[in-house]
Amino acid sequence: MLNNSTICAIAKLCKYCYDNTRETFLQARELLLELPNFEISIIGALAGLLSVAILWGNQKQLKSGIPAALSCLSAVAAIAFLTVTWGKELDWQSRSPFLLGVFPATFKIDDLGRLYLILLSTIVSTVSIFSPGYINHLSGKIHAGQYWICFLLFTFSMFAVVSSADAITFLVAWELMSLASVALVAADHSHQAVQKSAFIYLGATRVASAFLCGGFLWMHALSQSWSFSDWVFTAESSYFPALLILLGVCIKAGIWPFHIWLPYAHPAAPATVSAIMSGFMIKVAVYAFIRILVLGSLNCFWLIAIVFALAAVSAFWGVLFALVQNDLKKLLAYSSIENIGLIFMAIALSLIARLHGLSEVADIAIVAAIFHSWNHGLIKSLLFLSVGSVDAHAHTRDLRDLGGLAKCMPWTMTFFFAGSFAICSIPPLNGFSSKWLLYQSLFQNVIQCSSVIEKGVSLAAICLLSAIGALAVAVFVKAMGVAFLGLARSSLASHAKEADFGMLAGQAILTTLCVALGANTDIVFRLISNSISSCGLKVDHVLSNSLPSELVAILLVGLSAFIYLVALKTSKVRTYKTWDCGFGSLSPKAQVTSDSFAQPLARIFRPFLRYENVSMIEGQDRRHFPEKVTVETRMASILEKRIYLPGLAVIAGLAKWLARLQAGSIHLYLVYVCVTLCLLLLVGMAL
Amino acid sequence: MTELFRWLSFIVCVIFLPLLTIGTIRKTKARLQNRIGPPLLQPLFDLTKLYRKGETISDTMSGVFRLTSVTVMADVMILAWLIPWLCFKPWAPEADIFMVIYLFAFARMFTLLAALDAGSAFGAFSASREATLSLLVEPAILLALVALGVFSQSSDLRVIFSLSPHQTFVSSGIWIASGMAIVFSSLVELSRMPVDDPTTHLELTMVHEAMILEASGRNLALIEFAQSLKMSIFFGLATQCFLRALPEFSLIGTYFQAALNIGGIFILAIFVGLLESLTVKLQWRKVPEFVAYILSMSLMAALIAVGSRVIK
Repeated sequence: MLNNSTICAIAKLCKYCYDNTRETFLQARELLLELPNFEISIIGALAGLLSVAILWGNQKQLKSGIPAALSCLSAVAAIAFLTVTWGKELDWQSRSPFLLGVFPATFKIDDLGRLYLILLSTIVSTVSIFSPGYINHLSGKIHAGQYWICFLLFTFSMFAVVSSADAITFLVAWELMSLASVALVAADHSHQAVQKSAFIYLGATRVASAFLCGGFLWMHALSQSWSFSDWVFTAESSYFPALLILLGVCIKAGIWPFHIWLPYAHPAAPATVSAIMSGFMIKVAVYAFIRILVLGSLNCFWLIAIVFALAAVSAFWGVLFALVQNDLKKLLAYSSIENIGLIFMAIALSLIARLHGLSEVADIAIVAAIFHSWNHGLIKSLLFLSVGSVDAHAHTRDLRDLGGLAKCMPWTMTFFFAGSFAICSIPPLNGFSSKWLLYQSLFQNVIQCSSVIEKGVSLAAICLLSAIGALAVAVFVKAMGVAFLGLARSSLASHAKEADFGMLAGQAILTTLCVALGANTDIVFRLISNSISSCGLKVDHVLSNSLPSELVAILLVGLSAFIYLVALKTSKVRTYKTWDCGFGSLSPKAQVTSDSFAQPLARIFRPFLRYENVSMIEGQDRRHFPEKVTVETRMASILEKRIYLPGLAVIAGLAKWLARLQAGSIHLYLVYVCVTLCLLLLVGMAL
Repeated sequence: MTELFRWLSFIVCVIFLPLLTIGTIRKTKARLQNRIGPPLLQPLFDLTKLYRKGETISDTMSGVFRLTSVTVMADVMILAWLIPWLCFKPWAPEADIFMVIYLFAFARMFTLLAALDAGSAFGAFSASREATLSLLVEPAILLALVALGVFSQSSDLRVIFSLSPHQTFVSSGIWIASGMAIVFSSLVELSRMPVDDPTTHLELTMVHEAMILEASGRNLALIEFAQSLKMSIFFGLATQCFLRALPEFSLIGTYFQAALNIGGIFILAIFVGLLESLTVKLQWRKVPEFVAYILSMSLMAALIAVGSRVIK
């Protein structure tokens, strides 16, 4: 029996424990804040990189355990650091010898940055757990030492981009990030396809950086400051630099029509790198958009409207092209284009709504954008890791050769299925929560905004979103069904084995997070809106209607379990062949292929896809006894063929013509130097 | 009505209405073909017989196949609880339009996967067709519901279908247009005529029946029941829309409302029976045109809804 005094004692004990824990926590927090943390962490990270470089850089057969543990530990430490310092703004400026040119490197971590940094750290830690097993399977193809150096550099530079406070630091870190990722894409550079992809990606990053540089220089000229917090985009003179920055951001994010590098870079890179690139690197562009333009309160209606339109096009375009892909990684890359389109739609909607004074719509939309970057980051890393483990164990990721993996890789299948359901935004998983916020913001916009045209556009966007959702279901059912269900289409797939523990653990953590984040939209909504509010953008609306996702989740699981136990568990089951109309056993060739599954949908969108399906049946009595049957499906990317290739040809021609200037003669170069000097002097005198 | 009575009548409806709806469709078709036809409760006898039988599954299948019937059943039961398709429904949490649409997608995704699980081309091609149909019809259903939502300024189906005393000519227009869109899109969503013929003998041309070709015994019973429950939900929702177009509906007594509600579901079932007897199945390529009519009905509802708000 419990009497009063026992209860009192227990209560006291609880209070004591609570107080003690709280005090320890607060002390730890103070201690962390007092440390000259940035110097230490940056120097530590660089030292780590250097030691990896020196110790293991030249080892081709590197045991990946140590660097993986290192990067996982530092990512977990980063998560701990970021959560402990939650709510505080941390500033740091480099001192005299460590300058970028003549400027100090300045960093600032606030709650908005923290949201993105925690996402980065989560992805990096799970990818690090996944990596050793995966790298072992690729041994001989990629240089493990180089891989780990670039990997750590890539992670470090993304951390730096998100925490940088001024344009120059941002650009330096951005360049580092781009180059490190190019090196990672080219990890397996013995293949010509990989070389080509790396070059296309390199080109895209150069163009993006050029636009960003232009925009930043212009803004510096306008505001006399490099710091992002001083930049405001409300004056008409700042619209052009805003356009330049937007272009840079859109290229990096892969918004239509600048998306063409994504489907090249992702399949070429190792799966772990694709996971980080798709999971976080394209979100860096989203972060830059929010940090620079949204917090800089961009108010040019036409610019925002164009971004909204392009984002809507890329969401649709991405999922449509994902439908007709046979390479699993290419399919995922196109799906990334779709999701980044959704995120940009949300940001643009938020900006437009704020312009019209509809603060509720604006608040929901910006939270939807940030929440969806979180969700897409987690889901897409999970999917890329699952495809990586398929690739490592079945040695192919071509849907035409896969099939029947459910029997040999049940765990990988479970994780891939969970990720697919989440990315198709099926409730109660996390993908749905953020897409629901986007739907809600569009719906509120239809109700609240005053212009009839905008109401119509929002209604159309709601319809478009549902069509995209239905297409995404088709895309991922195709991926799941063709790769994992049915019979193996090649001996590669039938001999696959389940992935090792580390690879599964990485996927399991991400799956858990996907389920957990879907459970309660209200808490996440409050968390995100509080953290944006603390960065200067006022977000004070609460959700007017809530989503009973926990209830639905519990009911779904409970009812399913109940029905299973009552009805199916006890029924007598006999195993037999698949129904074959009595013609004899079905061969794997009689199954649906990835092309034929997509055919009815592809037919509807023939004009966009440039889709052609030609079948030829030959033989004497061709109707009944065909001797030769050929079916060919052709599909071309109109954008690449009609616009990019001719454009590149023009540039290449011009470059060839300009190359005549570079004659290789020292005399000529001296003349150039002299002419330039004179011109500069003249310009100087004229000014 | 007390809450307990509501729960009891709701459970009775969930169990018997779907079976009776299917029975009514079959009976109508039989009468039009000058046959007496099976009794109205024949679907119940069929299902109990199926439930007593053993199952045969293919050796190619993974666990997904048997999981499907269970999750689909659970999902449709939750939808039956959330969606206000009966006016005497017990308390339910918020039924957001978008969540409802995506809960339907949940069931569809599982069904599609189950169809691919056996490695048979029948199932896989019908899954491919089902994915195509859902792409065409999903925007239409969503737009019809959103039109209602815009009119009543909420995305919660409970609020949308709560009875408002003053009905105008404009609101009747919205209710009727949305109701029509829901009825016709349910024909596509449930794979019935004129999009798919559930009674044809050729698996190659079917959609839903070919997807469940490998199912048998209790598994099949569960899937069939879930499908018919889904049908009643759609018909009930459409009936609710049509009833709200009546000018004095909110003034009628509760029991009479319930009777009208259930009667409406049966009238729709008879209508579907008529349609299936009198029309032929559309050529596959003509289906987008049929869906375009549905979409234009939803669009009409949406335009009236937006327009009425702008004028106010």
